[in-house]
Amino acid sequence: MSRPLVALAAAAFAILGGLPLVVMLARVEAADLAGLLDARTLELFGRTLWLGLGSAGLALLLGAPFGFLVARTDVPGAAWMRPLGVVPLFLPPLLIALTWTVLTGARGAWPAVLVLGTGTFPLVAVFTARAFERIDARREEAAILLGGTRGALAASWRLVAPAALCGACLSFVFAVNDFSIPDYMSWVGPKFNVYADEVFATWGQTSSPGRAVAAALPLVALTLVSLLPALALRRRGALATLDSDFQRPRPLPLGRWRWPAAGFCLAVLAISVGVPVGRLLYEAGGGADWSVAGLRGAFSRALELARDDLRNSLLLSAAAATLVVPVALVLGHALERSRRARWLEPLVVLPLGVPAILFGIGIIAVWNHPATASLYDGPGMVVLLFAGRFGAFAVLIAAGAVASVDPALEDAGRTVGAGPARRLLRIVAPSTAASLGGGWLLVFVLSMRELDAAIFVPAANATAAFRVYNAVHFGRDDFVAALALLLTFLIVLPGLAWALLGRRRLEVLP
Amino acid sequence: MPRLLALLACCLPLLTVASCADADAVVLYCSLDQVHSEELIREFERETGIRVRAEFDTEANKTVGLVERLRQERARPRCDVFWNNEIAHTVRLAEEGLLASYDSPSAADIPAVFRDPQNRWTGFAARARVLIVNTDLVQPGEVTGYRDLLDPKWIGKSAVARPLTGTTLTHAAALYEVLGEDGARAFWNEVKDAGVSLAQSNGQTMRLVSEGELAWAFTDTDDFNVALDKGAPVDVVYPDQDGLGTMVIPNTVCVLKDAPHPELARKLVDWILSKDVEAKLAASRSAQIPVRGDVPHPDNVRTAADFKVMDVDFVAVGRAMEERQAELKEMFLD
Repeated sequence: MSRPLVALAAAAFAILGGLPLVVMLARVEAADLAGLLDARTLELFGRTLWLGLGSAGLALLLGAPFGFLVARTDVPGAAWMRPLGVVPLFLPPLLIALTWTVLTGARGAWPAVLVLGTGTFPLVAVFTARAFERIDARREEAAILLGGTRGALAASWRLVAPAALCGACLSFVFAVNDFSIPDYMSWVGPKFNVYADEVFATWGQTSSPGRAVAAALPLVALTLVSLLPALALRRRGALATLDSDFQRPRPLPLGRWRWPAAGFCLAVLAISVGVPVGRLLYEAGGGADWSVAGLRGAFSRALELARDDLRNSLLLSAAAATLVVPVALVLGHALERSRRARWLEPLVVLPLGVPAILFGIGIIAVWNHPATASLYDGPGMVVLLFAGRFGAFAVLIAAGAVASVDPALEDAGRTVGAGPARRLLRIVAPSTAASLGGGWLLVFVLSMRELDAAIFVPAANATAAFRVYNAVHFGRDDFVAALALLLTFLIVLPGLAWALLGRRRLEVLP
Repeated sequence: MPRLLALLACCLPLLTVASCADADAVVLYCSLDQVHSEELIREFERETGIRVRAEFDTEANKTVGLVERLRQERARPRCDVFWNNEIAHTVRLAEEGLLASYDSPSAADIPAVFRDPQNRWTGFAARARVLIVNTDLVQPGEVTGYRDLLDPKWIGKSAVARPLTGTTLTHAAALYEVLGEDGARAFWNEVKDAGVSLAQSNGQTMRLVSEGELAWAFTDTDDFNVALDKGAPVDVVYPDQDGLGTMVIPNTVCVLKDAPHPELARKLVDWILSKDVEAKLAASRSAQIPVRGDVPHPDNVRTAADFKVMDVDFVAVGRAMEERQAELKEMFLD
C-alpha cells in the first residue's frame, strides 16, 4: 500500500475524528482530576456497569439464538425475519421506552435493561449470524459425522462465541453511554442514576471545561476497555473461518423445533420492532379514534412541517457516509495488511468511545476560527461531524472485508505493474463492494439518528432527529408519531433499496 | 490513484455546496421551544425583511447546549442574539462577560425586577411554576403548595422534575434565596429522603398527570396549557398563595458581545421585547405571562397582578447557580 495514500487517509481521519478529542483532552489540568471518583460517583459507576452488563447479557440471550436461527437453520420466515431483526437499531431507544411505559407502566432499573437489551440485540444477532455463515460446510459435515448435530453445534459455538461476544461488547458500550433511558424509566419511584448523567450534569454545572472533560474520563476509559476486547475478537473472527475455497453450509434442519424456533424469533421481533412501530402507527392514525384518513392527515402534516428537515437529514447523512468510504477503504486495507498500521486500530475506535457532548464541544474548539468560519457555520460542518464520529465503523467493516480478499490477487496485480491505488480500486474495492456499501449504510443510519453531538453544530438544527425530539416534549400525538415513522422509513430506505435492487447482500460487520 | 482522487473530488463539491452559510442573516440562539418561537421569528422576517438564522436547543439538552456553545464560541462569536427561555443561565453568561449592554427602547416599560441594572439582558413573557392537578384524582383545595410534595399520602402520586436542569433547577436555586440556605437544603433533603418521584422534565410531569398516572405535579404554565389544549382532565394551582408566592421565570433576551451583526441584533431584540410579541406569546399555545400589565392576553392567561408572585432576586440566583447546582447534584445524582 502506498504510504502517502495511507498517510493522507490517516490524516483525514485524525482531523475528523481525533482532533476534537485531543483539543478537549488538552484542557484537562491536574487539579481537574482530583477527587474524580468519590463514593458517590463510584456508586454511579457501579450502577452503570450493572446496567451495561445487564443490557449486554440480555442482548446476548436474545441475539445469539436469533442470529443462529435466521442464518443457519430452516426456521420458517428466516428470509424476512433476518433483515427485520436489524430494525431496532434504527429506532431511537427513547421511542421504544415511551411505548413500553405507555403499554405496561413498567418503571425502574430492570425495565431500563429490557429496553436497552432489546434495542441492541441486533448487534449480537448480526455478528452471530455472520459468524455462523462463515463456518465451512466441510468442517461442519465432519463435526456432524463425529458428533451428530449436537456435536456440530458445540463445535460451531466455539467459533461463533467470539463474534457474539463482540456484539455484546458493543451493546455494553451503547448502554453505559446512555443516560436518557435509565432517567426516563425511573421517573416514578426510586431514581436510577448512572454515570453518563454525571458527565452531562457536570457540563451544565461548571464553567470550567477541564473539569467537565475530566468527569467524562472514567466513562471514556470504560468504553475503550470494552471496545479493545471487541477489537481483538473482531480480528480473530475475521481471520478464523474464511478462505478462498470456502463452501457455504446448508441450513440445519430443526425438525419438530421449527415452529417453536419461529415463535421465539417472532416474539423477539414483536418486542423489539412490532410493538413500538405498531404503537407509532396507532398513534399516527389518531389512537382510540384511529382512521386511515387520520393517518393520512398526520403524515401530510408531518411532511408539510418537516419536509426541509427530512431532506437535510438525508443529504447530510448521505454526504457523510460518502465522504467516509474512500478513507475507510484505504485505512481498512492498511489495518488488515500492514503490521505497522495495526497500532492505528485502537486510535480508530477512539471517537466511538467518548461521550457525544465532549465530541460536539471539541468540534467547536477545532473549527470555530476565522479561517474556517464559513465551513463551521454551514451544513458542511455537520457532514464532518458525522464522518468523524461514525467513520470508525466503516473503517472496521472495510478491514474485515479486506481480510477475506486473497492477498495473492493483489500480488498478481503488483507483478503486472499496477500501483497501490490501482490495486486498491481495481482489485480490493470490487471484492469488498458489499462491505463498503455496508459501511456507507451504517454511517448513514447512525448519522440520521444523531442528536447528542450534533446539537453543538449550527447547521444540525434543521434535521429531522432534532424536530422529532423537540416535538416529543409536548407529548406523543399523531404528528410526532407520523414524523418518527417517516424518519424511520428514511433511515431504512437505502438498505431497503439495496435489498431490492442490489445483486449482493450488504455486509455491515467487520 | 487518479480514480481515487476523482472519487474524493466528487465528495468535495458536495461538501462545498453544503457549506454555503447565509452570512447576512442575524443569528439567533433560541431556547424557547421551537414549536412556540419558530413562527414568530418567521413573522419578524416578513415584517422587516431581515433574515434570521434561528438555532434551537432540544428539550433533552435543557439549554445546556446553547449556553455551552456561547461559551465555546467566545473567541469568535457567531451568535448575535440569545433568547433564553429562563433567566439563571443568562445571568451567568452576563457575569462571565459574554453579553453586551443594550438598553432597548422596547424595554422602557418592563418592570425593573425583570431588567439587568447594566442592561445586559431583559426579561419578558414569563412562565410560572405551577401545580398541574388531575381533576379526577385531586379535589379542589387538596394541594396548595410546595410542601405538599412531602405529604405521605401523595408520595408516589405526585412528582417534580429532578432539580438539575431547566426551570426546575432555577426554581430550586431560588428557594435557597427565599428560604435561606438551611431551609432550602433541609427541604430538598426531605424531598429526596421521602422518595418523591423525580421526573425527567416538566413536559413529562405534565404527561403523567394528564394520563392519570400521577395525581399532581410541578410543571410550568406553558406545559400545563398544552395539556389543557389537548382536553386532558387537568387544572392549575398557583402554589403557596398564602406563603412564599408562586415562582415566575421570565424569558430573557440579550445581545452578545462582539456580535457579528450588532445593528440587526438590536433590531431583533427591539422586536422581541415589543408588547405585540409579548401579547402573541400570551395568546400562543405556550400561554406566556406578560410582565407588563397593559399587554392584552387571553382569559386563561393570568398576569402577575392576578396572583402572589415569589419575591426573587434573579441576579443573586444566577450568581450562586454553579454552587447550587453542585450541591443539588450531590443530593440527587447518587
